[in-house]
Amino acid sequence: MLVHFTATPRRPDQVRSSDFLIEHSNVLGLVSIIAIFWIAFTYISPGFISSFNLFTLLRNLGIDVVIGFSTMVVLATGGMNLAIGSIGVCSVMFSGYLMQTLNVSPALALSAGVFLGAALGFANGLAIVRTGVSAFIVTLGTASLYMGAMLILTKAAVYDQLPVVISEFGRIRWGFISPLLLISLAVGASLIVLFRFSSLGREILATGANSRAAELSGIRIGNVIVFAHSLSGALASLAGLMLLCRLGSAAPSIGQDWLLPSFLAPVLGGTLLAGGYVSVVGTLLGGLLVATIRSGLLVLQIGNFWLQLFLGVILLLAVLLERYRSIYTERRRVGGQ
Amino acid sequence: MMSRVSSFLTRDWSILAVIVLVGFFSLSAISPAFLTEYNQYVMLRSFCVVLLAALAQMLTLAVGQINLSVGALGGLVAIVVGGLMEKFGFPVWTCVIVGLLVGASGGVINGLLTVKTGIDGFIITLATASAFTGINYGLTESIPFYKLPQGFVDFGTARVFAFPYLLIAPALTAILLAWFLARTVQGRWLLAVGGNSHAAELSGIPRNVVVVLAHTLSGLLSAIAAILAVAQLGSAQPSIGSNWLIISFAAPIIGGATLTGGHVSVAGTALAVVLIVLIQNGLVLAQVDPYYVEFLLGALILLAVGADRLRAAQTERSSV
Repeated sequence: MLVHFTATPRRPDQVRSSDFLIEHSNVLGLVSIIAIFWIAFTYISPGFISSFNLFTLLRNLGIDVVIGFSTMVVLATGGMNLAIGSIGVCSVMFSGYLMQTLNVSPALALSAGVFLGAALGFANGLAIVRTGVSAFIVTLGTASLYMGAMLILTKAAVYDQLPVVISEFGRIRWGFISPLLLISLAVGASLIVLFRFSSLGREILATGANSRAAELSGIRIGNVIVFAHSLSGALASLAGLMLLCRLGSAAPSIGQDWLLPSFLAPVLGGTLLAGGYVSVVGTLLGGLLVATIRSGLLVLQIGNFWLQLFLGVILLLAVLLERYRSIYTERRRVGGQ
Repeated sequence: MMSRVSSFLTRDWSILAVIVLVGFFSLSAISPAFLTEYNQYVMLRSFCVVLLAALAQMLTLAVGQINLSVGALGGLVAIVVGGLMEKFGFPVWTCVIVGLLVGASGGVINGLLTVKTGIDGFIITLATASAFTGINYGLTESIPFYKLPQGFVDFGTARVFAFPYLLIAPALTAILLAWFLARTVQGRWLLAVGGNSHAAELSGIPRNVVVVLAHTLSGLLSAIAAILAVAQLGSAQPSIGSNWLIISFAAPIIGGATLTGGHVSVAGTALAVVLIVLIQNGLVLAQVDPYYVEFLLGALILLAVGADRLRAAQTERSSV
């Protein structure tokens, strides 16, 4: 199912089939690129589609996609959140502390972690709305602030005596499906509901598309932005806690390399940096492309060293393609009238 | 009295200068180790690389752009310079020139991609940063180059009293940059494009050329920073530059630069770096966790932009 949201959706009967292809060429393009990579990797190294490799790939995908969603929900408002990695690690260390030092039950500790993430995101949103300073600067500052506070409080210790259920949960394997993947799919489904069917979701997109117009039509854009940042914080901490389950321990190094993946998945998936448009399915596919390349390079034993170069080049190509696609769409639209 | 205070407050880096002075004197009063020649030398040495990285970022901020690749490009330059020295045994000056060329070319790539595609510089430099880092780690497999010419390594530790030789590069760069931005036509173009890109274009300024120029100079300065970092460490570490991101934004912003462009201050940026170095040094002398640096850096960024808002509101009120 292709699900796209814009602030001004066209009714299905207004969409011609050729328009449909252009509107969704991003998703179709991603699907075909991913398919080409899968065929190529499988052809060169059949181990790529072994059940275990698929399991690892999809488990990593689950985490990467939630990191991507965390950025996507603030991009929707036209903002950004550079503090995602810091919020993630703060939640992880907080949950780790609760479980190991205070013997809090895992369910409660993990919920408290998500709550902390939402609170830190809330603080980001409030600072942005109250001061009018750009989201870039505020979240750059709080990224450093949160990270520093976490390091001061934990002294960079690792919590590795966690209840066994945590790592057991991370290792659960049904064929090649991990529960971590299912969590990310559930989150994706909820985001689809939010952006498509709830007025709050439509208000977020309207604020991102044109904040002045949104304000004039009675949307309290301040509240909307604060909500988007709280949600982003909660998703960042969810991603962190999923990683905690996969690793089985809470380490202060978690989240430090999230900046690139947090933008890769949504931007590859066609979410606009300017705001007003998100694509949940696109973000999922963007994450899948990244996970495919990462796993493929590993299977081909090219190793992780060149991975960053590939990801950088792919991001560049994607934004270039998107650019020319939008110019082409614009020309067609103008030409047709 | 009030008007004198508020006119002082509207000055760009006056508060910063006062804070730095207060910090300097209180540190010398509290810790006897602070004013020793060696400690001053250590502080000045750590000042060099940070200032250059900050000025590299400041140049892109001047035209209203963001450069996330300052550190990644620095890392690439560091290992190119180190690799040419260790693997090929080229003379130092050749390696330095090649390093500077790599930095400038990286900047040209950033600038051209931004201008030609019209895509946000944030995404372009996020992508090129990843690519530069990828080349860096692909080539070195994260193994540093250790066998560097003795003369080059000695340069990194040599000093006259408290002044490290390394300080020559950032001092010269800062003076040249201040002169460039204040006195040359191209320098004024940079700020004009940052202030109002549309108006600048209408008054005949070649906007695209100026943006590419800013990115190129930014790349060049990251290269100088990287070469100094190699000399300072005595080895070309692939991880050089990986921790420049936040500090490169923090210093210009604390120094009064605006993210929207058109307004930067070399003196303010330099004072901000002095402040950061003072804080780091103070924490070391007080034997406090080094982690406080990260926390305080974040707090300083937020305080600086908060103070800036307050000042803007005040100026507005007093002008009304």
